[in-house]
Amino acid sequence: MTEKMPMLDIQDLSVYYGGICALNQVSLHVNEGEIVSVIGANGAGKSTLMKTIVAVKSFTSGKIMFQGQPLKKEAHDVIKDGITLSPEGRRIFSPLSVRENLMAGAYTRNDRHEIEATMEEVFTLFPRLKERINQRGGTLSGGEQQMLAVGRALMSKPKMLMLDEPSLGLAPIVINLMFETIVRLNKEMGLTILLVEQNASIALSVCQRAYVLKTGTINMEGTGQELLHDKRVMESYLGIAK
Amino acid sequence: MELFIQQLVSGISIGAIYSLLAVGYALVYSVYNFTNWAFDGFMAFGAFMAFTGITSLFMPFWLAALFSIILTVILSVGTEKLAYSPLRARKAPRLFMMISAMGVNLATVNIINLIYGGVFRKFPIDTLQPIFIKGVSIGRMDLMAGGISFGVLALLWVFLYRTKWGLGIRASSIDIMTASLMGINNNAVAIVVFAVTGVLSSVAGVFYGIKYAVFPMMGIVTIKAMIASIVGGLGSLPAAILGSMILGILETMVSGYISSTYRDLFSFLFLIIILLFFPNGLMGKSSGEKL
Ligand SMILES: Nc1ncnc2c1ncn2[C@@H]1O[C@H](COP(=O)(O)OP(=O)(O)OP(=O)(O)O)[C@@H](O)[C@H]1O
Ligand SMILES: [Mg+2]
Repeated sequence: MTEKMPMLDIQDLSVYYGGICALNQVSLHVNEGEIVSVIGANGAGKSTLMKTIVAVKSFTSGKIMFQGQPLKKEAHDVIKDGITLSPEGRRIFSPLSVRENLMAGAYTRNDRHEIEATMEEVFTLFPRLKERINQRGGTLSGGEQQMLAVGRALMSKPKMLMLDEPSLGLAPIVINLMFETIVRLNKEMGLTILLVEQNASIALSVCQRAYVLKTGTINMEGTGQELLHDKRVMESYLGIAK
Repeated sequence: MELFIQQLVSGISIGAIYSLLAVGYALVYSVYNFTNWAFDGFMAFGAFMAFTGITSLFMPFWLAALFSIILTVILSVGTEKLAYSPLRARKAPRLFMMISAMGVNLATVNIINLIYGGVFRKFPIDTLQPIFIKGVSIGRMDLMAGGISFGVLALLWVFLYRTKWGLGIRASSIDIMTASLMGINNNAVAIVVFAVTGVLSSVAGVFYGIKYAVFPMMGIVTIKAMIASIVGGLGSLPAAILGSMILGILETMVSGYISSTYRDLFSFLFLIIILLFFPNGLMGKSSGEKL
C-alpha cells in the first residue's frame, strides 16, 4: 500500500494573492523516483505552485500531502521534512562565497562530516564549483550560478528536489548540460524531482510525467512523450504549427 | 605630543563606544531595512539598569553590567516580538517600522524620566587614577571602555563570520526570502539580531554613562553613531566602525586643540566634507553586500 502512495499529493489546491486567483483547484502528484514536469507560459502560476509547496506562500483551500502527512506550515519545517526548492532566477547569495552558499543550503543539518560529504558529492556533480570554492557567488557566470543554485539545494539532502525554471537565461548548450545532470540525479541517485519550465521541449523530454498549467489550472496531463507529441502542446508550447 | 596621545586614546575609546552603537544600527538596517530608533532608548535603559544595580541593589560593577545586559536584551527582543514582528507579518512598509521604533523610543525615554527624573547623574563607579606613561596620562576608564568595546565587536565578528547562526543572519540580510528557502527560520534570526542589538546598546550605555553622565536623554548620542555609519558607508559593519572611529578621534582632537565648544561643529563640518567627496560613504558599496 505504501508503494502506491504518491510522495507528494496535491488536491484541489487554490492560491490567491489578495483577490487574484493564481492557482485554481490544482491537483497533481509526484511518485517516488519520478521526474515530473509542469509546463506553462508566463504567469501561469508555476512559481506560485513551487512556493506553495515549500510553504513560503500560503494556500486558501485544498490539500497538500507529503509522504502521507499534511505539509508543514513553516518553510524550515518543510525543508527538514525533505522538500527543497531551487528558486527561479537562481537567487544566489552574491556577496557570499561558493562555499558559504553551499553551507547555507545545509542550514537544516547539523553533522559537519555528513555536510562535508554532501559537499563532495556536489563537487563531483559540478567540478566547476570546486574550482571556484572561495569565489563570491555573484562573480560566477550564469551557468555556474545555476549549478550553484542546484548544488545549494542538494546540500539539504532533499527527498524531493524542486526546480523552478532551471533553463532560465542559459545558453542552449548549458541548458543541455544542466538537464543531463538533472537526469543523472534522478537515475543514479534515485532523487525525486518536480520541475517547472517554460522551455517545454526539454522539460517534456526528460520527465516521466507532465502537467500543463494554464492560467492557474491544470489543463492537460500525461507522460512526457504523450505531451511532446500532442497537437495542442506542439502549437502552444513548442512553437510547432501544424 | 603628549596632548596628542592623550586625545588619541580618549578618541579611540569614544570611537569604540560609537562603534557599538553604529554596528547595532547597521545590523538591524542590513536585515530589516529600517532604522531602529528605539536603540536610543535602549542605550539609556542599559545605563540606568546598571546604575540601579549598583546604587539600589548593591551589586558590584560586573554584576550590574551583566544585569543591565540581560534586561536590555529582554527589552530589545520584547520590542521585536510586540512591535516589529507583527508589522513585518502584515508586510507593513518600512516607514511604519521606523515610526513604531520612534514610539518605543519615546515611551522608553519618558518612562525612565518619570521614574528617575531628568537630572544628570555621575555613574557610581570609583574613578581610577590614570596611568602615566612617559608623562602621558592615560585614563584607565578609557582603556577599559575601548578594550571591552573592541572585545565585544571582535566576538560579534566571530559570531557573524564563523558560526552557522552568523551565516544565517548574513544570508537573511542579503535575501530574506531565499534564506527561508534554505530552512533559515526568519523568526529565530530576528530574535538573535535583536538580542545582539540589546547587548550592544547596554554595553554602549554603560560606558557612555561612565565617560559622561547618566540621564534619560543620553541616547541622543546615537544620532552621532548613525551619522558615523553613514560616513563609513550605510549598512556595512566594518564601515560603521571606520566612521565611528574617525568621528570619535576627530571630536577629541577638536576639543583638545581647538575648543570643546566647537567640537560638534568642526566634527560635523569635516564629515560633510567627507560625504561631498565620497557620497556613498568611505566604504560605501552601491548595493548587494551589506554586512
Ligand atoms: N507577489 C504577488 N502579488 C500579486 N500577484 C502575484 C504575485 N506573484 C505572482 N502573482 C500573480 O500570480 C500569477 C502567477 O504568477 P507566477 O509567478 O506563479 O507565474 P509563473 O508561471 O511562475 O510565471 P513565469 O513563467 O513568468 O515565472 C500571475 O498572474 C502573477 O501576476
Ligand atoms: Mg515563475
